Amino acid sequence: MKKNFLIIILIFLLPVILLGSDPLQISLWHQMEPSKEPLLKELIAEFEAANPDIEVNALHKGTEELRTGFQTVAAFTNTAPELVYGPSDNLGAFEVMKLSDSNEESIIAPLEDILSPEFLDKFMDQAKFLYKDHIYMLADRLGNHLSLCCNMELFREVGLERPPETLAELIEYGEKLTRDLDGDGTIDQWGLVWNYNEPFWYVPFFGGYGGEVFDENNVPQLDSQAAIDAFQLIVDMRNKYKIIPEECDYNIADNKFKQGRAAMLVNGDWSWNDYIKSDKVDFQLATLPIIEKTGMYCKPMISATGYSISSRTKGEKLDAAVKLLKYLTSESAQKRFAVQHKSFPSLKTLQTDPLFTEDKVLQVSARQIEVGVPMPVIPEMRAAWDAMRPALQNVVAGALTPAEGAAYQQKLALEKINSMYEDAGLVVTTGEKVMKAVLYILGIALGIYLCYVFIFKFLKVLLRNSNSVITRNNRFAVVMVMPAAVLLFGVVLYPFIYNIVISFSNMSMTNIHSWRVIGIGQYLKVLSEAIFYSTLWKTLVWTTVNVFFHVVLGVFLAVILNRKLWGKAIFRVILILPWAIPQYIVALTWRGMFMQDSGAINLLLSKFGVDAINWLSDPTLAFIACIITNVWLGVPFMMMIALGGLQSIPHELYEAARIDGAGRWEQFKRITIPMLKPVMIPAITLGIVWTFNNLNVVWLISNGGEPADSTHILVTYVYRAAFNLYRYGYAAAFSMIIFIILAIFSITFMNRSKVAEKA
Amino acid sequence: MNNKNNIYELTLIYFILTVFAAISLYPVLRVLTISLRPGNNLLTESLAIIPKDASFDNYVKLFQAKPFLLWLRNSFLVTAMVTILGVVLASTAGYAFSRYEFPGRKAGLMSLLVTQMFPATMLLLPLYIMIAKLHLVNSMLGLVVMYSATALPFCIWMMKGYYDTIPFSLEESALVDGAGRFRSFSTIILPLAAPALVITALFSFMSAWNEYIVAAQVMLDDKLFTLPVGLKSLQGNMSTEWGMYAAGSLLVSIPVVILFLLLSKWLVSGLTLGSVKG
Repeated sequence: MKKNFLIIILIFLLPVILLGSDPLQISLWHQMEPSKEPLLKELIAEFEAANPDIEVNALHKGTEELRTGFQTVAAFTNTAPELVYGPSDNLGAFEVMKLSDSNEESIIAPLEDILSPEFLDKFMDQAKFLYKDHIYMLADRLGNHLSLCCNMELFREVGLERPPETLAELIEYGEKLTRDLDGDGTIDQWGLVWNYNEPFWYVPFFGGYGGEVFDENNVPQLDSQAAIDAFQLIVDMRNKYKIIPEECDYNIADNKFKQGRAAMLVNGDWSWNDYIKSDKVDFQLATLPIIEKTGMYCKPMISATGYSISSRTKGEKLDAAVKLLKYLTSESAQKRFAVQHKSFPSLKTLQTDPLFTEDKVLQVSARQIEVGVPMPVIPEMRAAWDAMRPALQNVVAGALTPAEGAAYQQKLALEKINSMYEDAGLVVTTGEKVMKAVLYILGIALGIYLCYVFIFKFLKVLLRNSNSVITRNNRFAVVMVMPAAVLLFGVVLYPFIYNIVISFSNMSMTNIHSWRVIGIGQYLKVLSEAIFYSTLWKTLVWTTVNVFFHVVLGVFLAVILNRKLWGKAIFRVILILPWAIPQYIVALTWRGMFMQDSGAINLLLSKFGVDAINWLSDPTLAFIACIITNVWLGVPFMMMIALGGLQSIPHELYEAARIDGAGRWEQFKRITIPMLKPVMIPAITLGIVWTFNNLNVVWLISNGGEPADSTHILVTYVYRAAFNLYRYGYAAAFSMIIFIILAIFSITFMNRSKVAEKA
Repeated sequence: MNNKNNIYELTLIYFILTVFAAISLYPVLRVLTISLRPGNNLLTESLAIIPKDASFDNYVKLFQAKPFLLWLRNSFLVTAMVTILGVVLASTAGYAFSRYEFPGRKAGLMSLLVTQMFPATMLLLPLYIMIAKLHLVNSMLGLVVMYSATALPFCIWMMKGYYDTIPFSLEESALVDGAGRFRSFSTIILPLAAPALVITALFSFMSAWNEYIVAAQVMLDDKLFTLPVGLKSLQGNMSTEWGMYAAGSLLVSIPVVILFLLLSKWLVSGLTLGSVKG
């Protein structure tokens, strides 16, 4: 009997044993454009079918998130993905992050140790990214480079047969192709459009005039004559030759070209496919022109996108990751990407493949790559971009001359690079060790005190032996509050304490693990910069204006709606819409409405005879645009709270007041306002707090602080200035200061309204 | 409510409401326009709401090419849990803060407010670390916990403020009649606080439904994506699938509007009226 039983059990267990363990799971974090993702998914599906014991989890992440996400997760935890696919400019940032304090290995693994030399030999040199003597990335495509896109249909309309080859031709053709087609005085077709607000589109000309962003010692060279010439060219294109629109960003340029309203466009290889598919464009690619002054071609920056392996990957997972990498960079994969998306393959054998040599677009792309310059991989490049951006925008707006702009960007670049390295190489003195110990003790003491207040006091109440009414009341109250308190406490405490500790440290790019407590140095740094005070003022203005309109309009609408009205429900729903729609798309839609040429706001104003306002290029107007958008977003919320609050006011009060002869306004002042207070004051206080800290709206409308980093409130400034350059200690101190200011502001407001007591 | 509206007043009111409704609606309609336009265009120079070549392509693509329904299911699960948890915890905690003077009350109220003041920049880095170290990665429970913690402070304050407007005499009479503290709370006060409960529910719903940053950190398996994370994946470095993104955003707003419609009945409850004299 027992033997039979055992056999039955074994039979049941057999399938489990045979199926073996769960498939090996490896993760790939990638940054592929949404249009390319389906192909990636196809390839992965094929790989999984061929390797049933491996399961691949592919996760898409946006550029910034991929970089900061991978850095943080790989440097601080064990959950890093095995493979990461991103652009080569991430390499510097990745390499600098070490695995831990004692381990000098960086978070990405040198590929020459993992892949055989024969395998690596199959790839072009530019695909094997060498940085500090190690190959950290293997690219499956080269490019990400800008070129000249031409719509030959529009060319032929004015009798031109081919794209321009020199700068003089570019200008000449541009002038011919900029036309007012219906004779109404406004330009309907532009000769040239491009995103001239981003330095990535500035460097091709900068390079063409002979400029170099960094010299051999990684010192920026942004104030050369080439910089001035390039600035001058852009300014002339806009003001002198008038071949580019007065306001143009990425989306405007892309749009106009796609719709056949611009003849030439400077854009990168990720976008060409869209244009090829558009039936309004007869697409032809050309290299950016030769600049006669130097005899050199314009030099766009070439980078590559490829695969890196995280150094935490070992053993079986490493083998699986390598297999996947080989599959995704294989000849068939690269061919499919080339055909479907015009990506430039990185395998040597494909360079002579007819698929490639017979494709006109890819051939031009190859020529452009030949004359371009590789994008510097060093982390200082970020500082360079952040310096060039405001300079470029100021020069275009006419606030700086080209010469001043060049000097400005050089100065900024040096400052920013210094700030990235400012906290490096600090020697730990005994004094600092003592201070670190003291801070830790204080931190622990704070933690214990908070635990005492929230837990022990509560426990005391719960466990007290007496049965008095007060005790029973207290016990009841505490039981009602405990679950919420535990939840909140648990989630919020760790980040708060962490932030406090970091704010006293020198944690930055060079000290990710080896940071030391240095005292209040970061706080002093924040408080000593003039930009802090001007931004603080702006934030106060931002908050007060917003909350004022939120409350006034919200209460106003609630009072109006609070009566028998036909269609009341419909109006309520429509008025709540701004709150219901996800903020991101709405903010971007508003940004579109503020555009000078094509924005709805200016179009509407023109119907009233008002001239077009240049909303987004003027600091004050851009700020006002942000405020308008945020008011639109915030009114429904206050309206809803007020509507709820109005429900608790009894009719009889109004009746009595009317009998006593009080007018509408009197009733409002004497009855409505006082009775709404207990409900509105919490909402207003929180409204103040949220508006003060609202990162999204200002960031999205101003596109990260434009024009020229002048549209900022405190939080967006921290995000731009501190996080971008990995100055974590500085950012933490800054955040603490924001927090303290806000705390003082709101608590004062609340005490003035005396709401802590019962109404 | 003042029922003596004369014609002039009514006309003025309708006029004002229409203007505000138009202002509220217009940007939303533009999002609709983007979603109806084929070919992935964010900007346009025409004021037309329905574009010339309008089609529902983007909506179809959203369901076919992307796992929109999966995202929807995940979002619903997480959000439902957060809403329930939020309403339960906020209604009880708010009540305690409103009616009772217990040790830690003032500190509790203050700290609720204080947690709202942390700028996002303060929390970004420790959030990554905390989520990874606590193995909250890929866990829906983790999301529920974090979202509830974010939404609670406001909801508790809201409920407390509303309870403050309900006179204590109501519970007193109930307690005198022999009902326990919890019973008088649940059967008498809670129904009266319906408008505030509605706002709490809506707010908790919104916090979870539209939240992106934490979800992107926690959900590393794309089968667990919630709607905001799914929509964000339509955004590329340089090129975004604007059409699908706009379509998705509109679809995402519909449940919120429906919820609001369902709950607004209680938003206008006037049950307090006439129940207390003097």
